[in-house]
Amino acid sequence: MRIGSAIHGPRLVAKLMALSVALLVVPWLSWLLLVEMERALEAMQFRQQLLVAKGISTFLNGREDLFADLPIDPEDYEALYARPITGSARLDGAIEDWNDVDSHVANSFGARAGTADGSFDLSLGDRDGWLYAFVQVRDDVRVYRNPESLRLDGADHVRVDFIRADGEDGRIAITASQAGVTTAYRMDAEWRLAETGAPERSVQGHLVETDEGYALEFRLPLDMLGSRRVFGLSFVDVDDPQTRATRAVTRTLPTAGEESFGLVVYRSPEVLKIIEGLGYAGYRIMVIDTESRRRAETGGLDLGPRPPAETNWAAIPRGAFLKTRQWLEALTAGDADVAQDGEGAAEVIASALAGDPLALRRHAGEKEVIMAGHPIVGAGGAVIGLVAVEQTIEDIETFQYAAIDSIVWVSVASLIAFVLALIAFSGRLTWRIRNLRREAAAAIDEYGRLRSAALSREIHSGDEIGDLARSVSNMLTRLRQHNHFIENMPRTLRHEINNPLNVLSTSLQNLSEDVAEVKGSRYLESARRGVLRIGAIVENLADAASLEESLQAEDMDEVDLEQLLANYVGNCAITHPEHGFLFRGTGAAVIVLASDYRIEQMLDKIIDNAIDFHRAGSAIRVQLDAGPEHARIAIANRGPPLPRDATGSVFESMVSHRGPDNRLHFGLGLYVVRTIAEHHGGTVRALNLTDGSGVVISVQLPLAAAASRAEEKQAQEHSSRMA
Amino acid sequence: MATLIAIVEDDPDQRANYADAIVKKGYETATYASRAEALAGFDERIPDLAVLDIILGPEVDAGFQLCRELLARKPTLPVIFLTERINEIDKISGLRLGAWDYLPKPISLDYLAERIASLIRINDVRTSGEDSVSPTARRVGGLVLDQDALLVSWKGRRVDLSATEFRMLAKLVRNPGHAVSYETLMQSTMQSLVTHNTINTHMRNIRKKFEREDDEFAGIKSEYGFGYRWTVGG
Repeated sequence: MRIGSAIHGPRLVAKLMALSVALLVVPWLSWLLLVEMERALEAMQFRQQLLVAKGISTFLNGREDLFADLPIDPEDYEALYARPITGSARLDGAIEDWNDVDSHVANSFGARAGTADGSFDLSLGDRDGWLYAFVQVRDDVRVYRNPESLRLDGADHVRVDFIRADGEDGRIAITASQAGVTTAYRMDAEWRLAETGAPERSVQGHLVETDEGYALEFRLPLDMLGSRRVFGLSFVDVDDPQTRATRAVTRTLPTAGEESFGLVVYRSPEVLKIIEGLGYAGYRIMVIDTESRRRAETGGLDLGPRPPAETNWAAIPRGAFLKTRQWLEALTAGDADVAQDGEGAAEVIASALAGDPLALRRHAGEKEVIMAGHPIVGAGGAVIGLVAVEQTIEDIETFQYAAIDSIVWVSVASLIAFVLALIAFSGRLTWRIRNLRREAAAAIDEYGRLRSAALSREIHSGDEIGDLARSVSNMLTRLRQHNHFIENMPRTLRHEINNPLNVLSTSLQNLSEDVAEVKGSRYLESARRGVLRIGAIVENLADAASLEESLQAEDMDEVDLEQLLANYVGNCAITHPEHGFLFRGTGAAVIVLASDYRIEQMLDKIIDNAIDFHRAGSAIRVQLDAGPEHARIAIANRGPPLPRDATGSVFESMVSHRGPDNRLHFGLGLYVVRTIAEHHGGTVRALNLTDGSGVVISVQLPLAAAASRAEEKQAQEHSSRMA
Repeated sequence: MATLIAIVEDDPDQRANYADAIVKKGYETATYASRAEALAGFDERIPDLAVLDIILGPEVDAGFQLCRELLARKPTLPVIFLTERINEIDKISGLRLGAWDYLPKPISLDYLAERIASLIRINDVRTSGEDSVSPTARRVGGLVLDQDALLVSWKGRRVDLSATEFRMLAKLVRNPGHAVSYETLMQSTMQSLVTHNTINTHMRNIRKKFEREDDEFAGIKSEYGFGYRWTVGG
């Protein structure tokens, strides 16, 4: 068909499937939502951390003095912090019983190598309001105190200097006259004599000799140190037991000479106390001074790598998503929100020091953290430092991962469900449309005649297909009305033409009677012939038009085709003596259910046609064959073959392949043949003889037995439908 | 009193033409254009013969109704129908309206006059001669044809044929056993335009009428492609 090449576009199912791709927007939107949510959570955490920072800073506002307490950089003094003691910590000159851990942090003083004579290592610990100290001294000559001498500086001893709670300088010397329990005295300003005769009982210690020198373990009450809890420690080395002169003094701070004690910080000062109370796991709180030095710090962050994600199948989409996201972020000019390690912190500090609180997200180690900074304002309104609060964004990530997992699976599941629903829907739609098309196509037969005047399918459907079915059905109904009108046209025409024709005819007759000169005129005769011819034309047209209707009224009898044809062909020889006819039958009765003179009428038309086209002198051959179901009448004539494309159309109404000079032919003859054959349940075909020497018209009719079987079947179907 | 022919035809030209032709033959005519008009006229005087067009204006069955009215008043009245369609012959036949005939349009006025004359003559014969068989009647086996009274009987039983059918049958039995061609039969109808189909329809009607009297009737045989044949000897 030529239309075929002009049809473009995919089928309905393909279109719907293509549209369903649009569903991918669901996971995309979810992702956008997720990113937005992440931002919101982040902002919330920013605010929260800023609030924490602000809260802490309010404690510190106007307290410049607190900064004075603080070590410049607590990291330098880290070893001096007292570690909490969990063990028994008997004063026995051994540190092993402080904690379970094998190694104890000790700072070395006196020599960089830590091996020089008089140098010592110091470890601090605290327990129940006591400060414990463990000093390991390297001394080549051990000189114990002479119990006889009042001078305390004449032997190896340890000095502790501090500021007392009452603000006065405190000096305590720990001495021993032999290995074992030590004695402590409050000392005068020159560190020569004890202030009082009685030893300071609250400072207890135990000294043991080691290979290198001494090991001294002592404790003192924390109350003694005052609020700042800072003290200095020195080892005074005396090597000559005779002169008992001080050889060297090794201090905790080698540079400290003047008024300084050589600070040893017992734990954090007040600021630390303040922030320590606020710290908890997952937070790190820092106090930073105007020089960007970290002055106090509490809490810790677990910056190690995340535990490897559980490798279950549910996490697969998450991994793909995270990779995709990294790739996307790399594609979109990186993520400006996440600062690298150093920069972020510097930015926060700079901003807070400038007076603006700021929170930032930055990378730290394997993780991302949020760092919030809030300025601490001094008494004069100047910024004296800042509080920084850091927290990892693990909570956000955990939430995010869970959300990603569920989004991915819900998206995939809904996509599948939707596509399945779409397939089912479109399948049903296609099925319905196909059925409708089939029924609509079947409503008109190959000759363009209406088989049914209405559709039965989809008529009651409420949707557009129903509308289509109804409108097609209406079209068919209207078409039938129109067809009916056209079919009735010849009959109406006959009625309308016959009356004036009758007027004409009777007038002519009366004219010839009344006017003597006219009678016998050839004009009168030709006028009469003309009238008759018009009458014949109208009659033929009307007959053909009402043929189907009249056929319905015919009675069907069992007719022996063999006999009928033999009789018919025999009579043809009489009626058409100038042409030759040959009949070849089966030699036996061929019974069909038919109306005999309709068969005769059909044969008349075929024979007329054959006579018109046969080559002069050739015989017209009529042959009857009987198959198991059908009888076949073939009428062949020698003559011009049919045009190739005309073999089907010759049986249509008003189609004539005769030349234009043939009058009184409307192409109705073979149409009548087809209509009669089909009324008898048969078919008719026009074929060229294989050698091209002529045309054969072949009519196939069902045998009576087959016809009655078919009728029975039809009746059964009819009754079952009625039931 | 002259014989009165009633003509009922809605077309004035045709009506006038019929009337002219009939008057020329020495009959009196009464012409009507509609059923109501005709009924009014019949109240005044019942005609001796009626020529009825079937379709009168908008009434498609007016002719049949008029026929019924007329036969109710005068059962022996001969009626000639003017038809336009071959399939209406069946209808007329089915009505069994009595002694009648019909002519398809276009009409030959000669034939019309001839029919009027013969029907009036036949009616006279029927009303006077009663059931006695005319001596001129023709016998072919069980078939008796009374040409004068236009009566047919088969094995002693009346077969009610129309004038056209009678003439065709007469032609068919003129030479029993021999085939009679369509052309011959066409001439016998005394109509101007006849097709094979018309003959077939008539023959079928005749056959049915015989079969109504005799189930076994098989006197009329088809000669396919040629015509018909009367076969029954006895």
